[in-house]
Amino acid sequence: MSTPTHDPHSGDRPDRGTDTATPGTDPTNPSPASAKGTADTAETNPAAVDMDEPPAGGSFARYFLRKLGGAATSMILVIVLGFFAFRMLPGDPVLKIAKERPMSPAQIAELRSQYGLDKPVIVQFWDYLVGIVTGDLGESYVYRKSVSSLIGEYLGPTLLLTGTAAVIAIALGLWLGQLSAWRRNSLFDKLASSTSLIFWSVPTFWLGLILLMIFGGTLQWLPTGGMITPGLDPWSPAGIIDVITHLILPVVSLVAVVYAQFLMIMRASLLEEMSEDYLTTARAKGLTEDEVRRRHAVPNALLPTVTVVFLHIGGLVAGAVTVEAVFSWPGLGKLTFEAIRGPDLPLLQGTFVVFSAIIIVMNLAADIVYRFLDPRVRRA
Amino acid sequence: MTTVRPPQAGAASGGRNRRGPMITQHSLRRTVRVSLRRCLAGIAALALAGSMAASPAPAAASETPAAENVLRIATDGFVDSFNPFTSFYLVPTNTFRYMYENLVANDAKDGSVTEGLATEWNTDSEGKVWTYTIRPDMKWSDGEPLTSKDVAWTYNQMMDNDEMAVANGSLVENFAKVEAPDDSTVKITLKKAQANNPGQEIPVVPEHVWSKIDKPGEFKNDEKSVGSGPFQLDSYEANKSITLKANPNFWRGKPKLDEIQYRYYTNSDAQVQAIRSGEVDFITGLSPDQFTALENADDVELNDGNGRRFNGISINPGVADADGKEFGTGNEALKDKKVRQAIRAGIDTETLRKQVMQDYAQPATSFIPAVYPDWALSPDNRVVSGFDVDRAKTLLDDAGWKEGSDGIREKDGEKLQLRFLTDADVPTEQSTAKFLKPWMKDIGVDLKNESTDADTESERTTKGDYDMYFSGWSINPDPDYQLSINTCGQRPDAEGNGGTSQDGWCNKEFDKLYQAQHVELDQAKRQELVQKALAIHYEEAPSVTLWYPNQLEAYRSDRFENFTKQPSDGGAIANQVGYWGYSSVEPVSEEETTGGGMGAGGWIGIAAAAIVVLGGGGWLLSRRKKSDDRE
Amino acid sequence: MSANTPAVDGAKLVRERRLNNAKKNWALFRSDAPALIGAVVLLFFIVIAIAAPLIAPASMLDVTQQLDVPRYAPPSLDHPLGTDDLGREMWVRILWGARVSILVGVAATVMSMLIGTIMGLAAGHFSGLFGGFIMRIVDFFIVLPSLLLAIVLSSVLERGVFTIVVAIGLTSWASTARIVRSQTLSVESRLYIERARILGAGHSHILFRHLLPAVMPLVLANTTLTVGGAIIAESTLSFLGLGDTSKESWGTILKNSMDVSAATSGYWWYVLTPGVAILLVVLAFTMVGRAFEAIINPALRSR
Repeated sequence: MSTPTHDPHSGDRPDRGTDTATPGTDPTNPSPASAKGTADTAETNPAAVDMDEPPAGGSFARYFLRKLGGAATSMILVIVLGFFAFRMLPGDPVLKIAKERPMSPAQIAELRSQYGLDKPVIVQFWDYLVGIVTGDLGESYVYRKSVSSLIGEYLGPTLLLTGTAAVIAIALGLWLGQLSAWRRNSLFDKLASSTSLIFWSVPTFWLGLILLMIFGGTLQWLPTGGMITPGLDPWSPAGIIDVITHLILPVVSLVAVVYAQFLMIMRASLLEEMSEDYLTTARAKGLTEDEVRRRHAVPNALLPTVTVVFLHIGGLVAGAVTVEAVFSWPGLGKLTFEAIRGPDLPLLQGTFVVFSAIIIVMNLAADIVYRFLDPRVRRA
Repeated sequence: MTTVRPPQAGAASGGRNRRGPMITQHSLRRTVRVSLRRCLAGIAALALAGSMAASPAPAAASETPAAENVLRIATDGFVDSFNPFTSFYLVPTNTFRYMYENLVANDAKDGSVTEGLATEWNTDSEGKVWTYTIRPDMKWSDGEPLTSKDVAWTYNQMMDNDEMAVANGSLVENFAKVEAPDDSTVKITLKKAQANNPGQEIPVVPEHVWSKIDKPGEFKNDEKSVGSGPFQLDSYEANKSITLKANPNFWRGKPKLDEIQYRYYTNSDAQVQAIRSGEVDFITGLSPDQFTALENADDVELNDGNGRRFNGISINPGVADADGKEFGTGNEALKDKKVRQAIRAGIDTETLRKQVMQDYAQPATSFIPAVYPDWALSPDNRVVSGFDVDRAKTLLDDAGWKEGSDGIREKDGEKLQLRFLTDADVPTEQSTAKFLKPWMKDIGVDLKNESTDADTESERTTKGDYDMYFSGWSINPDPDYQLSINTCGQRPDAEGNGGTSQDGWCNKEFDKLYQAQHVELDQAKRQELVQKALAIHYEEAPSVTLWYPNQLEAYRSDRFENFTKQPSDGGAIANQVGYWGYSSVEPVSEEETTGGGMGAGGWIGIAAAAIVVLGGGGWLLSRRKKSDDRE
Repeated sequence: MSANTPAVDGAKLVRERRLNNAKKNWALFRSDAPALIGAVVLLFFIVIAIAAPLIAPASMLDVTQQLDVPRYAPPSLDHPLGTDDLGREMWVRILWGARVSILVGVAATVMSMLIGTIMGLAAGHFSGLFGGFIMRIVDFFIVLPSLLLAIVLSSVLERGVFTIVVAIGLTSWASTARIVRSQTLSVESRLYIERARILGAGHSHILFRHLLPAVMPLVLANTTLTVGGAIIAESTLSFLGLGDTSKESWGTILKNSMDVSAATSGYWWYVLTPGVAILLVVLAFTMVGRAFEAIINPALRSR
């Protein structure tokens, strides 16, 4: 994934970093610039308020409902887009199947009706909607299996990969980020910032290729692809170790590009926090620097970071596309890519909708978690 | 309905990840593409031609412990089911060749017809009624007797039941009726006479098993299969493994191997690593680069087998449907055979073969590959011409295309611009396009390379929306099918309905020769007719055959030996037409155990990976040195 | 802002002030070492991209003329960056690849900025249903991963460089729109806009005379930063096989390297060089962009 995870604004500036990435969190954003922006909004442009910011004092239920409504709208857009965009893809699946073996025109017509391709588009759309509601995403043309079961099979590996990568990237990024901020302008800070900038500036897949080349190709320490050595039981101790060895390279590639984001966000929010008066008060009370950092600054700086982190987990799922391609990781990203080449319309629609749904849900979760975490909002 | 669904992956529980589907993008596509061509090439046959033959190796002698007697084959092929009536994908079809026999087989030596279930056969004078005598006292793998009734039942299923004709229907299209007058005789009456033995390539299944299945068209057949071939499917785990067990009742004798196990690898690089480390014993379908890289590997024997495919450039001769109604956007200039011949003369196929295929391909003439010496167009034929820029220029001059100021030829104010369609995902096609463009410029043709995905390519070629495209087919031992799809009547319409045509080309003279060879029972005379037909196709140049690619394979010589190639002289082991490749394999007597210890390396890897993450840029510098140290 | 000041002296004053500003900004920029290095690197790549046909004639990419060149030659004096699977010099491919990669990066960014600015202005300026509608669209594009959309777009449209530009441009504008919207909202509330509104200025007057000039600097700084992302997106799409394989780009070279298993076969220069080129250019754009931004937004400088 390049564009969303490569948001250059998540750098030193918590205001834009969260602004660009987190719809709906502006009013509580600790940054002065954005707070000013939204305050102005409320004064001069009242109508804009209910677009994405909760009016001060709004109940949680109202806030939640509006967020839910927003997510639902996005979901509907995804579903509609999922149907019509993919209708435009070239290639007639039936023609393709027919090319594989001699078929009579009657057989071709039969196949078309079997896939529902002979119906008017609007009827196909209706069937598609009904299918989505009932969890039936159709049958893959290429795999000849139901799309839901395919997605089920491929979802697990993707969750394992992105989950592991997310946990490591968050831990690493936040930890290094707060260290950097606390030791601002030290050698460590400069090193951490420039390293993450370098990682940010390369395509994820290239990093993967380089790792593959060193550890898979040259040193042959780690497997070059796949998730487990064929023939091993994934639940045996040997199997688990084997999966871990397969996991290392793809996870490292994903983490390397993403942790930089978390580092920068954390660093920036902590810097913001460090200029606050209450820290001075805390110091005046006689707390050591370390205590000030751990008890006051870091917890508060975590707030804006959490939302961004949630959002980036969604991005991470999409970022898995190239990494899965490089390492042949049997996940959703790879499935999506295969489906596009198919062309496997039902499968494509399925993966696109599921991917987007994951991301929309993550987004919603970010909004809700934020609301719960931020005492300022809770009190209001 | 006995459909056995592969177990669901543990998607719900995030951690419980069995190997998900391991079909790589590439391999799946390759499989589909390959099967596409294969099916075209006769629907039945997938593999290489021929059959093994000479000494069918009966008797399993030495008893080695089971675990050491398992041939592990790396694969990434797609499996829809193991139903021989419906599946036409590469891996299942190859498995069928070991599970089920045909009435007659194609031998390993040169692919010619040899005994299968039938020991002898004959035909009436015109080739319309074929009578087969079945070998007596044969048994299915479950011990039930195998008779001509099973053969007739199988054939009739395909003739009567559309859903049973999905994979091999076209092979029985010409069948009027199939009878089993007694337990040892099968009589096939054809609608029209044919010279090609109709008993090839149709897997015969046991009636006593299949007749009990409710919906045989939907039967997955993915465990404990019953057949008469040397190996029977024991179990299948989607994207993990396919296990075949030796059939003790195989009439040539139980194979020396106890088991064949296909293991799924997601990509071909992983397969190469696996054979290096001894994780698998056999791999096929290597790229020239991978093949060269394995040259120095310990205990790995390479096989550079002559393949039964051809690759070529199809030139739009003005495609039209069977009634001659033209469609598509092909350049008018290409209707002139001189222009097509000029294109052939302008391509240095020898350089192309050496550069793009790194010499891992055989020089080609026409569309019947050199592994079938009986049929392939002889390089000595007077029509065969080589790379000759001057000749190409003369041909274009004669056709009225005169060189313009920019070096591109013109006629009636129009420039000679052609589009060349290639698949963006196939490196050899991309490389070929890179060579073609400057070569065509040399003879005054402005070639526009259009690379796209396989589907757009297939759709555009169906609609006739091309000037030239990179094509390829797998050819069966008998040339009849491939010749047939070069006849006028086989041309489909713009929707792809009606038939299949190799190049969308039509020539009455060729059609006559096709018909003549189709019913010519005298082999020598038939060969002559085929040569004539191929010569016409060559001279007319609706396509330029570039090469016959080799099938590159490798096996662990420290574990197994005695693989059978088809053709036995310089052929391939996998993808044969027949069950020869692995049936003769035996373990090397003094077996070395292969090293395990995967875990240790893994932990070192974890540590190393951590260093990489923390260390930032250091690796950038160090990697250069490490790579240099390699091998 | 001062365009309607009629006095000649005033105009001169404005010119001087602008000149002074430029001088001050240049001094600021010069003092930023990474930005200077970035600018030099950028200049270098832009020059070699433009001059590619002069430095290395197209015939050096013509595979029919490389028949005697060893394939997969590692870097050496004869082959500074090594050769590829068809005997072409890597450095020539990198040189020509720079043209497409940088062009796509810049073109896609321009497109993304155009859409982002228009949408951001509209979302910030118009209230009510229309503004809300625009904001929903912006939100939608922010939420959805742009790579996913870009993949879909580039497979729906015919292959080619233009398609890649469109696919990246159409999917990466949302964050710009958000920034522009924020800025618009804060500018909107300023008194002079209020005054203009009261004096009866229409939407277009406010949008184009007041809001657009106010958000422009921000957009420009953002542009430089976004180019890097667009170049990476281009390489990703090409790598996934959605690019135009008949044109050299750094992503295409990486795809070729993957096709021939360069990573596992030890042809490290094939994988390394295009990636390093991407790294350098993206880093350079980022450095320069950050410096621009710091100049435009002095508040950032303190941090």
